[in-house]
Amino acid sequence: MLDRTRTLPALLLILPSLALSLWIIGYPIYDVVYTSLHEVNRFGRVRDFAGLANFAKLFADPIFFASLWRTVLWTVTVVGGAILLSVPIAVMLNEDFYGRGIARVIVMLPWAISLAMTAIVWRWSLNGQYGMINATLFQLGILDGPVEWLASFDTAFPIEIAIGILVSIPFTATVLLGGLSSIPADVYEAATIDGATGWQRFRWMTLPLMKPFLQIAIVLNVINVFNSFPIIWVLTQGEPANSTDILVTYLYKLAFRYGRLDTAAAMSLIMFAILLVFTAAYIVLARRSEEKGA
Amino acid sequence: MLNRRLAMLASGVALAALSALGSAQAQEKTEIRVIVAHYSDQTMGIFGGMEADFEAAHPDVDIKLEDVSWDNLQQRLTTDIAGGTPPDIAIIGTRWLLDYAANDIAEPLDDYMTPEFKAKFIEAFLEPSVIDGVTYGLPVAASARAMYYNKDLLKKAGIAEPPATWDELVAAATAVKEKGEGAYGFGMQGKEIETDIYWYYALWAHGGELVQDGKSGIASEAGVKAANLYKSLIDQGLTQPSPTGSNRQDMESLFKQGRAAMVLSGPWLRGQIKTEAPDLNYGLAAIPKGTVQATYGVTDTIMIFKDSENKEVAWQFLEEAAFSDKNRIAFSEKEGFLPVMKAEAAAPEFADDEELKAFTGMLPYAKFAPLIPNWEAASDTASAALQQIYQGQAEPEAALTEAAAKIDELIQQ
Repeated sequence: MLDRTRTLPALLLILPSLALSLWIIGYPIYDVVYTSLHEVNRFGRVRDFAGLANFAKLFADPIFFASLWRTVLWTVTVVGGAILLSVPIAVMLNEDFYGRGIARVIVMLPWAISLAMTAIVWRWSLNGQYGMINATLFQLGILDGPVEWLASFDTAFPIEIAIGILVSIPFTATVLLGGLSSIPADVYEAATIDGATGWQRFRWMTLPLMKPFLQIAIVLNVINVFNSFPIIWVLTQGEPANSTDILVTYLYKLAFRYGRLDTAAAMSLIMFAILLVFTAAYIVLARRSEEKGA
Repeated sequence: MLNRRLAMLASGVALAALSALGSAQAQEKTEIRVIVAHYSDQTMGIFGGMEADFEAAHPDVDIKLEDVSWDNLQQRLTTDIAGGTPPDIAIIGTRWLLDYAANDIAEPLDDYMTPEFKAKFIEAFLEPSVIDGVTYGLPVAASARAMYYNKDLLKKAGIAEPPATWDELVAAATAVKEKGEGAYGFGMQGKEIETDIYWYYALWAHGGELVQDGKSGIASEAGVKAANLYKSLIDQGLTQPSPTGSNRQDMESLFKQGRAAMVLSGPWLRGQIKTEAPDLNYGLAAIPKGTVQATYGVTDTIMIFKDSENKEVAWQFLEEAAFSDKNRIAFSEKEGFLPVMKAEAAAPEFADDEELKAFTGMLPYAKFAPLIPNWEAASDTASAALQQIYQGQAEPEAALTEAAAKIDELIQQ
C-alpha cells in the first residue's frame, strides 16, 4: 500500500533526471547513427543518405580489419598482463609489513600522472639515438649500436603493451586490494589450523573469494584499454605502415586527419557494439556476484 | 514550478535583450575576426602590428585576432564552420583549400584584386591558391627545401664540394661512413608527418610527378628508382639505422649534433641551429639533381570566408595592413620564411642573405603539393608504403603500385 502511493511521485521526481540522462546518452548515439548513414563532409555538412555505404567502405578496408585484430591482441595482452601482475601485488600489499603505507602509495602513484605524459617520457627514453634506455644498455655492454625500439612492429608493439600493463596496474591492484581486504582473516586461520599450505590457501580460498572482484577488474579494464588512445598515439601514431594502429587510433586518423566523419561514425558504432557486449557482460557478472553475496 | 519557469523565461528575455544590446554596440564598430596560425611566439606580435596599422587608418573597425596552434587549426575551423560561426579571415594550409573551395566556404578573391596588387606577388606563390582559374587566397607564408651539409664532416671525408647529384650524394655518404668516425652520411626521415615528402624530393629529381593525368605517379619509373635509391642508402648503412624510428625532428637533431653529414630540410632549421648549435659549421646547397632539379615548395594561405558579413573590410585589411611592404618584411624575416612579394625579395634583409639564396634559388624548380581531394589520406598511404619498403617488408615496385592504386581511388572520390 505504502509502496504504491509512493511510486508515482517517486517516478515523477526522478523523471527529469531520467529524461536528462536519456538525452545525454541518447542524443550522441542518435547523432552518430545518423552520421554513419549519410555522406558527411569534413565540415559536418550532411549530404545524401548513404545507406550502409560507410559500413561497406570499412569492411572493404584491410587496415580496419588489421586494426581490429590488433585491438583484440592489445586488449587481451594488456588486461591479461595487468591482472596477472596485479594479483601478486595486491596480495603482497594486503600483508601487514613495515612501510606498507608507503608501498601502497608507490604502486598507486603512476595513476596520478596523465597517460599522455607517461607516454611522452617513454618516447624520449626509447629514442634510438639519445634515449636513456639505449644509453644504459650501451654502457652495460649489452648493445653495440643504437636500436630504434619504435621503428618496427616487432619491438614497438610489445613495448606499447608493456607500458599499457604498467599504467593499468594501479587501478587493477586497487580493485583487487579492496576485494582482499573484504575477506575475513579467521577463514585463513581456520585453514591454517587444518594444515593448508600457503599455495593451497591462495588457490582454493583467495582466488574463489576474489572472483567477483577479478571479473569486475577484467571488464572495466577491457572497456578502458580497448579505447586507450594516448600510449600508441604518442609512441608511434600507429606507424610504421599502420602496423601498430588499433581501432581508436585509426578512428582518430579517419575523422580528424582524413575528414571522413561519416566512415568514422560507422567505425565508432562498431566499436560501440563491441563494447556493449562487454558492458552487458559486466552487468550480468555484477548481478551474479551480487546474488552470490546476498 | 510555474514561478520558476517564469523566472527562467524572464532571465531568458533579459539575456536576449543584453545580447541585442551587445550587438547594437558592435554595429558601431565593424568587427573582423582573424584566426592566426601560430608559427612561433612572435606571430601574434607581428599580426598585432598589422591590427594597429589598420585600426589607426580605420577607427570604425575592430580587428579581433585569435591565436590558434597548427595542431588544432583544422579541427577548430571545421568546428566553427559546422557550427555556423566561421571567422572573417583565417590562415590555412594551402593543401586544405580545395575542400574549402569545393564546399563554398572560401570567397573568390579575383574581383577584389587590382592588377597592380596582384603584380606585387612573386607569381609562383600565388598559383597554389588558384583552383580552376579562381583565386581563393593569398600566400601568407612560403618555404622551399634545400640540402644542409656539415662542412667539417664532408672535409674529413675528403669531399670538397657539396654533392650536386644523387650519385655524388651516395659517393659522399659512403666517404663519410668510411672516414666520418661514426657519423651518418645522409639523415633519413621515416616516421610521422612528411615521411612521404622526404622521398618526393628523390621522386621529383628523377623526373616523376605526384599526380599525372589525375592518377598517382608514385609507382612510375621515377618513383621506383627513388625508392630503390633510398632503400640502398639504408641497406648500405649510409643513413642512420632503422629510419622508420626517426621523425623529422629526430632526423634534424642528428644534423644539429653533427652526427649526420647531409639532410634535406626547410629554412626553419637555420633558426634552430643558430640557437641550439651555433658552432655547427654547415652550408646550404640545392636538393641533389637526378635527371632534373626539384624541391618542395609549401605555401600557407590567408583566406576570406564567404559567410563573412564584412568581406570588403576584410579584404581592405589584407591589402592595406597584412600585405603592406613593412608588415610582410617583418613577418617573413622574423618567422624565417621566404619572401612572397617582390618588395620583400628586394629588401636588404633578404637580398643580402647569402644562405637564403639556397632556398630562393630553388624556387623556379619548386613543386607544390597537388590540390587533390583526400590529400592527407593519399599522403599517409604513400608514407605507409615507404615504411614497408624501408623496413624491407615489401619490394619497392609492388608496394608503390599497390599504394598508387589506393591513391587513385582516393583522388576519384
